[in-house]
Amino acid sequence: MNDRVIIRFEHVTKQYDDDPPVLDDVSFEMERGKFYTLLGPSGCGKTTILRLIAGFIEPTKGNIYFNGKLMNGVPANKRQVNTVFQDYALFPHLNVFENVAFGLRIKNLDKKTIETKVREALRFVNLEGYENREIHEMSGGQRQRVAIARAIVNEPEVLLLDEPLSALDLKLRTEMQYELRELQRRLGITFIFVTHDQEEALAMSDEIFVLNKGKIEQRGTPKDIYDEPINRFVADFIGESNIIPGKMLADFSVEFAGKQFECVDHGFEPNEPVDIVIRPEDLEITTREQGKLQVRVDSILFRGVHYELCCYDDNGNEWLVHSTKKAEVGEEIGLYFEPEAIHVMRRVETKENRGGER
Amino acid sequence: MRKKLKISHLYLIVVFLILYTPIFYLIYYSFNSSGTMHHFEGFTLDWYKEVFADTRLLIIVLNTIVIALFSAAISTIIGVFGALAIYYAKRKQIKNALLTLNNVLIVSPDVIIGASFLILFTIVGIQLGFTSVLLSHIAFSVPIVVLMVLPKLQEMSPTLVDAARDLGANSWDVLTKVILPYITPGIFAGFFMALTYSLDDFAVTFFVTGNGFSTLSVEIYSRARQGISLSINALSTLLFLFTITLVIGYYFITQRSQRSSAVGGRK
Ligand SMILES: Nc1ncnc2c1ncn2[C@@H]1O[C@H](COP(=O)(O)OP(=O)(O)OP(=O)(O)O)[C@@H](O)[C@H]1O
Ligand SMILES: [Mg+2]
Repeated sequence: MNDRVIIRFEHVTKQYDDDPPVLDDVSFEMERGKFYTLLGPSGCGKTTILRLIAGFIEPTKGNIYFNGKLMNGVPANKRQVNTVFQDYALFPHLNVFENVAFGLRIKNLDKKTIETKVREALRFVNLEGYENREIHEMSGGQRQRVAIARAIVNEPEVLLLDEPLSALDLKLRTEMQYELRELQRRLGITFIFVTHDQEEALAMSDEIFVLNKGKIEQRGTPKDIYDEPINRFVADFIGESNIIPGKMLADFSVEFAGKQFECVDHGFEPNEPVDIVIRPEDLEITTREQGKLQVRVDSILFRGVHYELCCYDDNGNEWLVHSTKKAEVGEEIGLYFEPEAIHVMRRVETKENRGGER
Repeated sequence: MRKKLKISHLYLIVVFLILYTPIFYLIYYSFNSSGTMHHFEGFTLDWYKEVFADTRLLIIVLNTIVIALFSAAISTIIGVFGALAIYYAKRKQIKNALLTLNNVLIVSPDVIIGASFLILFTIVGIQLGFTSVLLSHIAFSVPIVVLMVLPKLQEMSPTLVDAARDLGANSWDVLTKVILPYITPGIFAGFFMALTYSLDDFAVTFFVTGNGFSTLSVEIYSRARQGISLSINALSTLLFLFTITLVIGYYFITQRSQRSSAVGGRK
């Protein structure tokens, strides 16, 4: 087996009582030293995966391996992983120093070692000089860093982070995204980061797992996931996009919105029904004559760096366009796009996909 | 609006006057030199001197305090573990059943508790005296402690325990390094409540004392029945002041716990 693999899930199912399974036969491997992100809507099982790795819960079925060793039945306090919790879970009765020192005191390290290690960990997260503060005297961002210091001081091989940024405001959040990524590079350990914010996932990860209803829909690099979503759910979840039903006429030729277009996808059955994706930023506004598609502007929104236009074609499909050019509401315009901008997805006829909702 | 406020103020003042007047009346006459409770002659501390000269009374005071401290300490220990057991009860029905049983004990009349203890001690053959009083005080204090500690446990975020386990703590570490420090204010509150309940208690103690052993409230009752002596007033005053001190202590402890939980918990 590949010795870079640190965590392996083998057909893991987690089920509470008679409810439908929270995780349904999930298998994956994660490698040493990478930044992984679990991305998915609320309730899809992200926290459950972290809790299974940390050992707070046991799988109903299947096996979890850590460094090739079976972890089933090994209690949380005997595992080489540490967690940064969503609510930070700092101990309110201890000050910053003692919070960070907690794990080391449990291990009965001597006073001097603890002192050095705690100071080093606090320096790592830029919290030097805060040792004697009480937790309630720290801001949200600082608390989060205490939580990270408390986890990394134990030198885990894997750090689990459950939506640690969700409580922060936008600015601090962007800052912390850089800091976390930087921290992971410096430590060189595996980070497993949970979020339901796709931009955060795209910005930070080496690899993203998109989850939905207890299953992994797709895993891949941020670029893979963004450019080549495997199905409607992923396309819809990862950034705004136009998802239009169509038909694959032959290799490199697809029909949608009542027209035929050249594309770069192939390998489908002739006349296979598909979903096509075009990102709003890949659509260009031109005149009706020059456009590949003719649409009418329904509404327009200023979004800072660009305008967001909502348009309808003659077949009633909605088209979202991001453009620096402005158009008037009610204006008839043309949309131009390159063949590479069209991404064709096989339509999987499952309940989720047919419904088309997130 | 203003008028309404005034009426509600007036109402409060009247109620508190009614409640406190007898106590202050009693305190007032404890300084009366004439020896009666209807004609104030002159200021004296004689009655207090009499109280402190009465060795039998002092022994009873000592008994009362010893009983209160012991029963509060023991019932705090039992109550904390009881609260933990209720908190960790897996099935919801069991949890609710335990909690209901606990609350029934608190609301059931002292007379019934006292009488039932009397029956129990007689059947089991425990001599009425120090042991029987101590046991019964522990018994009625435990539910109070449970009631004071349980909310602190429930308010504690369960991820705190997860976090401790994550950092390598075993069950014993989790209990001693996380749970107990967290619920300490509740434990203190429970201890103080148990202490005051035990100091106050008349009905239960009345049933289970005997063999020459007595506590203050029972003693005051029997002396008051024998005839009025203002030394009882003096004694009651002292008792009242002591209780007030306890209540103020309790107040400060809950204040502190409120402040720390207000900031310690979530954002
Ligand atoms: N102890 C439990 N008993 C029963 N069901 C549970 C339990 N814990 C979690 N679940 C269920 O498991 C599902 C997945 O929960 P999980 O916490 O993994 O979601 P999540 O992806 O982390 O969502 P969020 O983004 O909201 O945190 C949810 O439907 C939840 O109701
Ligand atoms: Mg979650």
